[in-house]
Amino acid sequence: MDDHRKYMRVLKLDEAELASRRAFFEITDEDLGRLAALRPFAEKYTDAIVEQFYELLLGHPETKKFFPDAATVKRVKRSQRDYFLGLFAGKCDLAYVEDRLRVGKAHEHIGLSTKWYHGAYRKYLQLISHYLFQELNDVGKAREAVDSIQKLVSFDTALATDTYLAAKLDAIERHQAAIRELSTPVIRVHHRILLMPLVGAIDSRRANQVMDSVLLKVVEAQAKCIIIDIAGVPVVDTKVADSLVKTTAAVHLLGAETILTGITAQVARTIVQLGVDISTMHTLSRLAEGIELALSLVGKSIQSTKRTRKPSKRTVKRG
Amino acid sequence: MAESVLEHHEMQIQNEDDIVLVRRKARDIAQACGFDIFAVSAVTTAASELARNVWVHAGQGIAFVERLADGARSGVRVVFKDEGPGIPDVERVLSGGYSTAKSMGLGLSGSRRLVDEFSIESTVGQGTTVTFVKWTPY
Repeated sequence: MDDHRKYMRVLKLDEAELASRRAFFEITDEDLGRLAALRPFAEKYTDAIVEQFYELLLGHPETKKFFPDAATVKRVKRSQRDYFLGLFAGKCDLAYVEDRLRVGKAHEHIGLSTKWYHGAYRKYLQLISHYLFQELNDVGKAREAVDSIQKLVSFDTALATDTYLAAKLDAIERHQAAIRELSTPVIRVHHRILLMPLVGAIDSRRANQVMDSVLLKVVEAQAKCIIIDIAGVPVVDTKVADSLVKTTAAVHLLGAETILTGITAQVARTIVQLGVDISTMHTLSRLAEGIELALSLVGKSIQSTKRTRKPSKRTVKRG
Repeated sequence: MAESVLEHHEMQIQNEDDIVLVRRKARDIAQACGFDIFAVSAVTTAASELARNVWVHAGQGIAFVERLADGARSGVRVVFKDEGPGIPDVERVLSGGYSTAKSMGLGLSGSRRLVDEFSIESTVGQGTTVTFVKWTPY
């Protein structure tokens, strides 16, 4: 899928939004007409402006990195000419906006940050106004033309910045989804015994996710027992305790037991001071003890193998 | 009391993730004060609890997290301010087990037990300010 089309939707860039943006940037048909009339000027100076523009970009160590070889420079100079002439096309419609987003997205993709974007546009404005004042004898007219260009260039940089932000937010959203998926693994420890180690902060979204995933896995594995290890949870406040108590109650309805392990001394003390009642849960400080308890709940136990025993003897036997 | 404020942080509570940021700041300051692990846990949990209250009941608010010094003692003060619906019956809420948010109803009463100084000012329709302080032992 074309990413820039997606951002058109994300940024709600329809006719109404375009009209609203244009009104705020005060881009009138008069401005666009003025720029269209300057097309011959633009064509005359395109090469000079693009050359000087790249002198800036290639002369700065950080922006130079984006142009590794002569072929790249040649290619981007050509597209820069098209872009420059596009400013004098006398249009500011949805097709124009779509083109800007495509450019913005391409720059985000190669990792060109907004500071270079804004800096580059600054250079554009400087070069254009320099040649405009040189070309047009009328200072008033030159000023008007610079003003029109300024409006369109600001409009462009706003679009580019919005695309950057939308792309970043998109990336953050994807990362969060990935983290959420990673954060509630359910491990099968033994027949009918599951383990869910919790790591990190438990917000309400995650608390619900923990509950859902625990219940589904308990049914799926026909588990008799699920151990929830909270050694990696930094804070157990009433919200976290509440979700653990509710999860325990729901697991109980499915005919299984919950064992809570990984309770540190400070968490134990804090829970008691808070006044939270977790007496409905089996609680243990160490995961190893939790596993032993779970095994005993399904009628098994861990026994040490003695040398005198036959090697065929199973270490875990039915009770 | 001749306490002085050594550090002052103003933090917005606007979404659930901000709760984590507030309690981390409170924890960092508690550690900087030299609290033991039980006291650090108490401060962190109370901050978490009260920040969540702001978010759940008022939608948004501000937390001020401060490091205090008072003679030989160090302390953490956290102030939560919101412009939410307010608490009609502060005494009832502080007695515990009463909740309007389908939760345990232990947030305020429990937090009070975790800290040394605790106060609530609330006006219905205008908002609530909750302040707590925890000190290192003399």
